Amino acid sequence: MLAYFARRLAFALFLVFAVSSAALVLARLAPGDFAAQSVGLDGRTETMAEARARYGLNRSIGEQYGVWIAHAARLDFGQSLLFDRPVADLIPERAANTAILAFTALLFATLVGLPLGVVSGSRPGGLLTGTIRAASLVLLSMPPLLTSLFLVFAAARTGWLPVGGMTSTTSTSAGDLLRHLVVPAAALALPLAALFERLQSQAMSGVIGQPYILATRARGIPRSRVIWRDALKGALGPVSSVYGLVIGTLLSGSFAVETITAWPGLGQLMLDALRARDVYLVAGCAAAGSVFLAVGTLLSDTALALVDPRQKEQIEVRG
Amino acid sequence: MRTFGLTLLGVLMAAAIAAPVLAPYAGDRQFRGWLNAPPTVPHVRDDAGAWHAPFIYKWTLTNQLEQRYEQDRSQRVALSWLDGGRIATSSDPRMPLFLLGADSYGRDVFSRLLYGARISLGLSLVATAGAVLIGALVGGIAGYAGGAADDLLMRVSDFVLVLPAMYVALALRSVLRLVLPPFEVFVLLTAIFAIVGAPLIARGVRAIVRSEKQRDYGVAALSLGAGHARVLVRHLLPAARGFLAVEIVMLVPAFMVGEATLSYVGLGFPDPIASWGTMLHDASTVRAFADFPWLLSPAAAMFLVVLALNLVMQTPGIAPVYNTADGPARRLRANTHPVRS
Amino acid sequence: MTLAISPACGRSDTKTGAIAGQEPRRGGQLVVSARTEPRTFNRLVSREATTDFVASLMQARLVRINQVTDEVEPWLAESWTRADSGLEYTLTLRPNVTFSDGHPLTADDVVFSLAAAYAVPISADSLEIDGRKLAMAAVDPLTVRLTMPVRYAPGLRILNNLWVLPRHRLEAAFKGGTLAAAWTLAAPPSEIAGLGPFVLSAYSAGQRLVFARNPHYWRKDGKGVQLPYLDQLVLEIVPEENTQLLRLTSGASDSTISEVPAEAYATIKRAADEGRLRLYDLGVGLDPDAFWLNLKPGAFAGDARAGWLQRDELRRAISMAVDRQLFADTVFLGAGLPVFGPETPANKKWYSPDAPQTPHDPAAARALLQSIGLTDADGDGVLEDAKTRSPARFTVITQKGRPSLERGVSVIRDELKKIGLGVDVVALEGGAVIEKIMSGRYDAVYFHPYLSDTDPAGSPDFWLSSGSLHFWNIGQKTPATEWEKRIDELMARQMQSLDEAERKRLFDEVQKIFAEHQPAIYFVAPRVFAAASTRMINVTPAVQRPQLLWSPDSVAVAP
Repeated sequence: MLAYFARRLAFALFLVFAVSSAALVLARLAPGDFAAQSVGLDGRTETMAEARARYGLNRSIGEQYGVWIAHAARLDFGQSLLFDRPVADLIPERAANTAILAFTALLFATLVGLPLGVVSGSRPGGLLTGTIRAASLVLLSMPPLLTSLFLVFAAARTGWLPVGGMTSTTSTSAGDLLRHLVVPAAALALPLAALFERLQSQAMSGVIGQPYILATRARGIPRSRVIWRDALKGALGPVSSVYGLVIGTLLSGSFAVETITAWPGLGQLMLDALRARDVYLVAGCAAAGSVFLAVGTLLSDTALALVDPRQKEQIEVRG
Repeated sequence: MRTFGLTLLGVLMAAAIAAPVLAPYAGDRQFRGWLNAPPTVPHVRDDAGAWHAPFIYKWTLTNQLEQRYEQDRSQRVALSWLDGGRIATSSDPRMPLFLLGADSYGRDVFSRLLYGARISLGLSLVATAGAVLIGALVGGIAGYAGGAADDLLMRVSDFVLVLPAMYVALALRSVLRLVLPPFEVFVLLTAIFAIVGAPLIARGVRAIVRSEKQRDYGVAALSLGAGHARVLVRHLLPAARGFLAVEIVMLVPAFMVGEATLSYVGLGFPDPIASWGTMLHDASTVRAFADFPWLLSPAAAMFLVVLALNLVMQTPGIAPVYNTADGPARRLRANTHPVRS
Repeated sequence: MTLAISPACGRSDTKTGAIAGQEPRRGGQLVVSARTEPRTFNRLVSREATTDFVASLMQARLVRINQVTDEVEPWLAESWTRADSGLEYTLTLRPNVTFSDGHPLTADDVVFSLAAAYAVPISADSLEIDGRKLAMAAVDPLTVRLTMPVRYAPGLRILNNLWVLPRHRLEAAFKGGTLAAAWTLAAPPSEIAGLGPFVLSAYSAGQRLVFARNPHYWRKDGKGVQLPYLDQLVLEIVPEENTQLLRLTSGASDSTISEVPAEAYATIKRAADEGRLRLYDLGVGLDPDAFWLNLKPGAFAGDARAGWLQRDELRRAISMAVDRQLFADTVFLGAGLPVFGPETPANKKWYSPDAPQTPHDPAAARALLQSIGLTDADGDGVLEDAKTRSPARFTVITQKGRPSLERGVSVIRDELKKIGLGVDVVALEGGAVIEKIMSGRYDAVYFHPYLSDTDPAGSPDFWLSSGSLHFWNIGQKTPATEWEKRIDELMARQMQSLDEAERKRLFDEVQKIFAEHQPAIYFVAPRVFAAASTRMINVTPAVQRPQLLWSPDSVAVAP
C-alpha cells in the first residue's frame, strides 16, 4: 500500500515537472512575446530589445528553461511578467479563491446530483424521472459561458444577489462572501450535478436489475432501504471514478465562469497568462493544474478502491 | 423511447445534410438593414380571420442604433416555394424570411442553424466517436492487463489530461500555415478533441473493466478458451455501456462549444462559416438575453442533439435479468454473483 | 462635436456637463470598473490603460492637456516663460505643494523625474524629440529650466508625458539601477507617494483598488474648496464587458473607464430613460481602425502578386470599393462617420476637411484594377493578374476578440468580393498579430494603432518614415517613395515652426498627400458613448479615454 502511494507520489512529481516544462516551452513557441505586447506596436526596436532583456526573454528557449528549472528546484518560480509579483505568491492566492468556489460547487452538486440520480435510476418511468432526466440534459447541453451569463443577468435583473465579484468593498464577513458565491458556484454546480445525476442514474439502473437486489427485496426489506443502502453501495463506482478528476478540474478553475462572474481565480489567471505570454506564470499555472489533477486522480483511485472492493484485488487472469 | 431518439437524431442529421434546400438563404448572406431583426412568424390567417397561403408580416426598422423594429400587420408578404432550389423563401426581397430572426450581421439564424449543424454535428459526433474509441481501448487494455501496462497507459493519459489544451492549440496554430481550409480545420479539431476527451473515458472504462475482470464470467470465458482480446471486447467492455452513454452525452455539447473556444487562438472555422458554438458565442451578450432571445436557438438545437443521443443510448434500466442482448455472459454473471444483504 | 446628455433632472450645461442646481460638494464615493488590473504602480514601466488611469489618480504632471479644450494647462507648474530662442523654458512650480506623505515638492523632484523617465526606455520614448533627450536643471527650489534639443512646435505638450515622482522615495532604486522593479503591485500603499488627488488605501488582488482622498492635494476649485471632491474612489476589476454593463445598469458600479460600444447603446439608453444612468454621446471619436497592405519594399519578392500588391492603384480601388455608409451601419449600427485618413473631425484643431475623399465607386475601382493588369479573364468573378495568371487574392490579419475589427474586416471582405478581389480573413490572437506586423510577414492587416497626441508633431512615430509606428513599413529608416519624402519634409517643418497658421497649412498638405496615396486606408470612425450613474456629477466628458474620468479630482457625487 505504501509502495503504491510512493509510486503515485513520484509520478505526480514527475507529472508536475513535465507539464510545467511543456507549458513553458509552448508559451515560448507561441508567436509574439510579453515584451512585444507590453511595448506595443509603436515600440522602437531598442525599446523592445531592452524590454526583452529586462524580462529575460532574449534568451533562447533552452537557456530560459534551464534557468527556470534551476530556480524551480529551489522553489523559486520566478516573477510574473504580467503582475510583477512572484509567481509563488500569485498562484496560491488565486488557487484559494478557486478552491472556495470549487468546494462549494462540489458540495452542492453532490448533495443534489447524487440523490436525484438514485431516484431517477431506481424508477424507470414516470413523471419525476422524466423531469429529472430532462433537466439534466438541459444543463449538460448548455455551454458554461451561457449559463454563467444567464445567472449574472438574472442576478442583475432581480437584484437579489450581487452582480459578479467575490466580495463587497465594505464587508469582509462570511455572509458577504456567501452571497457572492451563489452565482458562480451555481454556474459550476448545475452542469456538474447533471453529470452526477446521469452517471448515478445509469449506475443505479444497472444495479437494480441484479438478482441480489431482487433477492433482498424478496426477503422483505423495504424498498427505500434496498435502494439507498444496498443498491447504492454497488452503484457508486462510476461517480467515484470521476469524482477525483472532477475535483482536480474544478480546482484548476473554469475560465468562462470566473471571467463572467468576475471571480479572481486560477482559471482566469491561466488564460490571461497565456494571452500575455507570461512564460513564468504559464509554467506555474500548469504546475498547479497538474498538482490538482494528480491529487484528483489519486483521490479517485482511492475512492474507487474503497467503494468497490473488487478494485483492490489483482487476480492474475493469465493461466 | 429509443426509436424516438433515433428518429430525432435522424431528422437533425437529415436537416443538416439537406441544408442547401431547407434553408431559405445561404448561411453567409447578409441582409443590409436587418441586423438583429426579430423572427418573421408564418401565418395562414390574417387579423380579419381570412385564410391565405402562408405569409409573413413586414417588419420595419424604427431605430437603427437601438435596433428596434416594428411589425406592420397591414402588409402581408407571401412565401415563395421551391424558388431557386430552396423549399421556401420570401417572395419580397425587401422582407426576407427570418424564421428565427437575424443575427448581428443581418444573417438568417435559421439558415445558419441548418448549415451550422453540418459543422457542429459532424465535428462533435466524429470527435466523440474518436474519443470513445481511443478512450475505451486505452482504458480497456489498462484495466484488463493491469500492472506496468496499466501504469504506463494511465500516466500517459494523465499527462494528456493535465496539459492545457489551449497552450498546445496556440503553439500549434503558429506552426500551421496562415490560411487554413475548412477541411483541415475540421480534421485538426476532431483530432484535438478526440485526444483531449479520451483520458476521461479511459479512466472510467478502466475502472469498470478492472471490476468486471474479477467477475467469474470473465474467468469462465477465458477458461473456455476465449482469447484476451475477445474477452475484453465482447464481454468486459459492454459493461461500460452505461458509463459511455453518459460521457457521450457530456462530450458532444462540450466539443460543440469547444470549437468556439479554440477559435480564440485562431484554430477555428473562420467567419462567415456558421457553427453552433460560434453562433452561441456571438450571442452571449446582455442584449441577446434581454431583447434578442432567438439568437440563443443553437442552445435549443444542442439540447435536441443531447436529448436524442441520450434516448438512443439509454441502456434499459430495470429489465428482466434473463432477457438481455448479451445473453450468455449475463446468464453466467447472474448465476455466480454473491448475494449481499 | 456635439455633446448630448440624455434626460436627467435639471438643465444641463452641455460644455461642462454640470447639472444646474447641483453644486459639487466634498464627500461621497464612486465605484468605477475596468476590465484589466493595472500592471504596476510604476507608471514608467507600462503604458497600459488601467495602469495609466491609476497613475492619473495618484500622480501628477507639470502641465496637463485639458481633454476638452485640448490646451495645455498649468498644473504643478504654475507658470512658465519661453526664451526667444524657442529652445528654453523656465517653469515656476506652485509653492507649498507637498507629496501625499507630506514631503515638499521641489525642483529637484522634477529633475529627478525626468532622469528616472529616461532610465526606462518605454517612458523615455515619449519624452524624446527626434530621438534626442530634453534637459532639465533646477534653478532654485521652485524653478526649473527646460532645454529642448531642437525647436519643438508643440512645446510643453510633451510634458504631459512626464509624471513628477518623489525623489526621496525612488532615488535609491534609481541609483541602484532597480527603478523598473520599484512600486510593483506588491508594494505596500505606504511606500507610494504622489502628487495626485488620491492615495491608494487598499488593494485586493484581482478584485479592486480603493483610493482615498489625498489630504495633501494641492488643487482647489473656484470657490477655494480643496479637491478632490470624492472621499473615496473604488476601481473594481471586471474582466468581462457584459458583466461590466450589468453592474452599471443594476447600480453596482457608477461608471467604466472605457466607452460603451454601439451594441450596448440600447441597454444603456433604456436605463437612462428610466433615470438610472446618464448616457453621454460624445460625437465621433479619434483613432479609427486602419487597414493597410504590406508596403515594405521586397516583401513580396518571388511572389506572383508582387506586380500589383503594393501599387497605389490597388489601395485606391479598395478605398473606392467599400461602401463606408454600409460599413458604419453594419459595424457601428450607423453610429459612425466615414473617414478617409487617420485624422477625424474629433481633432478639431488639426483635422482637414479639404483632404480628398475617395468616392464610393465600384465601377471606377474595377477600372483602376484593370489598369494595373487585374482582369477577370475566365469569368469566374475573381480577378486574375493578366501576366502571371495568379488570382487576385490576399490575406488580411486581424485581432480576434475585438468586435469592431472582426466586423469591420468582414465588411471589407464582402465589399472587395464584389469587385473581384478575394480576401482571406485570418483572425489571430493579439500577441500573434503584433508579432506578424513587427516581423513584416503579412499581406494586409486590419488593426487599431493609436496616435499618441492630437497634435501631429506629438506623433512623429506615425508620420515620419523613420518612425516606429510607420506600420505599413516597419523598421524603415528612410522614405521609400517620393510622397513619403515629401511628408517627412513637411512634418519636419511642421514640428519646428512656431507659427500656428503655418503649421496648420503644412499639416493640411500632409493629410492631402496621405489621402492621395493611402498607405493606410481608413473607413469609419465610430461615435463614442459613455455612461455613468446619475450620482456622478460635475463630469467633463471628452472623447479620449477615460472619457468621463480624465479629471478625477473634479468629479463629485450628487448630494
